[in-house]
Amino acid sequence: MTSDGSMVFIVDDDPSVRDSLQNLLCSVDQAVEGFASPTEFLEAERPDVPSCLVLDVRLPGQSGLEFHRQLTRSGIHLPIVFITGHGDVPMSVAAMKAGAIEFLTKPFREQDLLDAVQKGVELDRRRRAELATLKDILDRYETLTQREKEILTFVTAGRINKQVAADLDVSEITVKTHRAQIMRKMKAASLPDLVRMADRIAADIP
Amino acid sequence: MTDVLLPSETATNADRLVSSTRPGRGQLRMAAAVSAVLLLAFVSTVPFAGIPLPGTEAFLPAYAAAVMVSDLVTAALLVSMFVAGGSLGLLLLSICYLFAGVTAIPWALTFPGVFAPSGLLGAGLQTTAYIAAIRRLAFPLFVIAYALFKDRCVAGGHARSVVWSVALTTAAVIALTSLIIASDNAMPKLMLDERSVTSLWSYVSEAGTLAHILAIIVLWRRFRSTLDLWLLIVLGTMLLEFVMLTYISGGRLSLGWWAGRVYGLAAATLVMLILLLETSVLHSRLIRSVSIEKRARDARLLTMEALSASIAHEVNQPISSMVTNANACIRWLDRESPELERARSTLGRIVADGHRVGAIIEGIRAMFREERGPRESVDINRLIQDAVRDLGLEARLNGVDISLTLDPALPRVNANVIQLRQVIDNLVANAIEAMDGKGECVVRISTAGHPDEVTVLVEDTGIGIPEDVDRLFDPFVTTKMGGLGMGLMICRSIVEAHGGQLSVHNNVPKGAVFRFSLPTYHLSDSRDGESVR
Repeated sequence: MTSDGSMVFIVDDDPSVRDSLQNLLCSVDQAVEGFASPTEFLEAERPDVPSCLVLDVRLPGQSGLEFHRQLTRSGIHLPIVFITGHGDVPMSVAAMKAGAIEFLTKPFREQDLLDAVQKGVELDRRRRAELATLKDILDRYETLTQREKEILTFVTAGRINKQVAADLDVSEITVKTHRAQIMRKMKAASLPDLVRMADRIAADIP
Repeated sequence: MTDVLLPSETATNADRLVSSTRPGRGQLRMAAAVSAVLLLAFVSTVPFAGIPLPGTEAFLPAYAAAVMVSDLVTAALLVSMFVAGGSLGLLLLSICYLFAGVTAIPWALTFPGVFAPSGLLGAGLQTTAYIAAIRRLAFPLFVIAYALFKDRCVAGGHARSVVWSVALTTAAVIALTSLIIASDNAMPKLMLDERSVTSLWSYVSEAGTLAHILAIIVLWRRFRSTLDLWLLIVLGTMLLEFVMLTYISGGRLSLGWWAGRVYGLAAATLVMLILLLETSVLHSRLIRSVSIEKRARDARLLTMEALSASIAHEVNQPISSMVTNANACIRWLDRESPELERARSTLGRIVADGHRVGAIIEGIRAMFREERGPRESVDINRLIQDAVRDLGLEARLNGVDISLTLDPALPRVNANVIQLRQVIDNLVANAIEAMDGKGECVVRISTAGHPDEVTVLVEDTGIGIPEDVDRLFDPFVTTKMGGLGMGLMICRSIVEAHGGQLSVHNNVPKGAVFRFSLPTYHLSDSRDGESVR
């Protein structure tokens, strides 16, 4: 693991455990930041980079599992690695069901933690890339005119130019021109490419 | 069953038996009322006592059957009390009732004119009278024996004593009956004919009356329990019956004769009912105390779980960070250019965490140490005798004998009485529970004094100990169903806190021997200094 602009957050109320985790992640050149409580974590200004959260199950005030749910509700989608002093099976099942990456019992093997953190960062990186791509497509979609958006819907629904021309009561030539314009604006390499983009737009704008 | 017996929980159930509790005010009042009714009945029948009631032989078998059942049930109840309490007196009293119950059979069978004109079994004219005389004389004598020996305990297996008693009593009744029948003609005559007695009977009467009065006096002087109270009433009733039969009634099958019978039966039934009632009350009390005990044990188990979970968490945190830091340290050193400064500071944190674990454990120990009471000079023999007395019922219920070989010159030790008692209770209770009921079931406890230490041996002949002897003293290791596995661990830590040693090895041919030693010199280590007020 090398410093690749990613960040690991640690929330554990035990300072010595928190420090040791920071120390371990530092030793593999992972940028890391520790917090004593969920509140401290939420109030801090967090860098907008691929990240992962290492969370103690037993926290003052609320449990790590509750905090995880709260994060999900408020739209913070961080991959989470749980650590606990005394984990039982039901607890770990609940954590994994809620979408945790890993559930580790203290004292854990350091490689397990590093692997889990790596996996979490990677997931976040992918999620962020995904988000960026979607945003790109939406930006391009917004450059289309009302007519072009209309024709895009017909074309991606599988209708050929002639049918579209008949539906909209325009000439086939006009449809062709619009279509070329759409392909250019959307930076689509082929019709299937355009269909995929349309699907993602449809998924995002219901 | 119990792993850790605290002294306050070991009050024995034998203390609550009808044979050892003092009668309450209600019982005294009831006894007075019953006596009054019986006396009234006696007085009111006196004027009519002489009226003969011929033909009432037909009721005799029913009467005899009632007497037999009542006496045998009473005997059985007394036996159950004997098994629980082990008193020789109770065994004698149950033999007394057994004897009375069994002799009712030949008495009724040989009664002339009931089953056959001159009685069954080839009985002669004198047979029934002799059996009756023996029955009547035996009862007060047995009661006197009971009164004299009620504090004496029977050594050895109680079940065996009961079996022998029943067998011998039955044999004695058969032998006596046969002897009486065989020598019917040779013996002095008690009966003139089938209805009237000879002048010789008056000697029997006088001896019987005397015996009853003597029994009443002896029992009165040693009066202690509810059972004694009702026995006094029975003796009184039988005395009245005697007086009625001998001096007032008009011979066999007269109204007075029958009235005497009915008093006797009423009194015998009363004792039986009282015993039954007390036994069922005791039984329900026992059930309640067992369930209370179980709840207490469950609560202890829960507390123990919560405690161990919180200790585990406290200790786990620094250990976890030590492991993580040590791993980080290895990584700092493994880098292409080892980061010595980071490695050094990481090692510093590991040291700090190690100290933190130590402090946590010291804190836990201090928490427990506060409950260590003060130490004083303790007589271990006395402690063992108390423990054996309190655990006696449990031992008897399990059919286990406890034998003591105590060194009379045992030096005293400086110890905490409550903790040491806990060790002894635990070892003895374990030994009792270890018995599997096969072969000889004996717990031998012995003490021996040496120049600088005393040793205590607790030997059993039970199932013995598993091979990994040393694990036996670890927490949460148990060989018992529902055991916590804390008892021996606590025993060992108590003995070691007193500067002694607790060890175990297998007994020959079977069972286990637990041995602990305590120094006789005054302990003056620092921990002791803290705890002494």
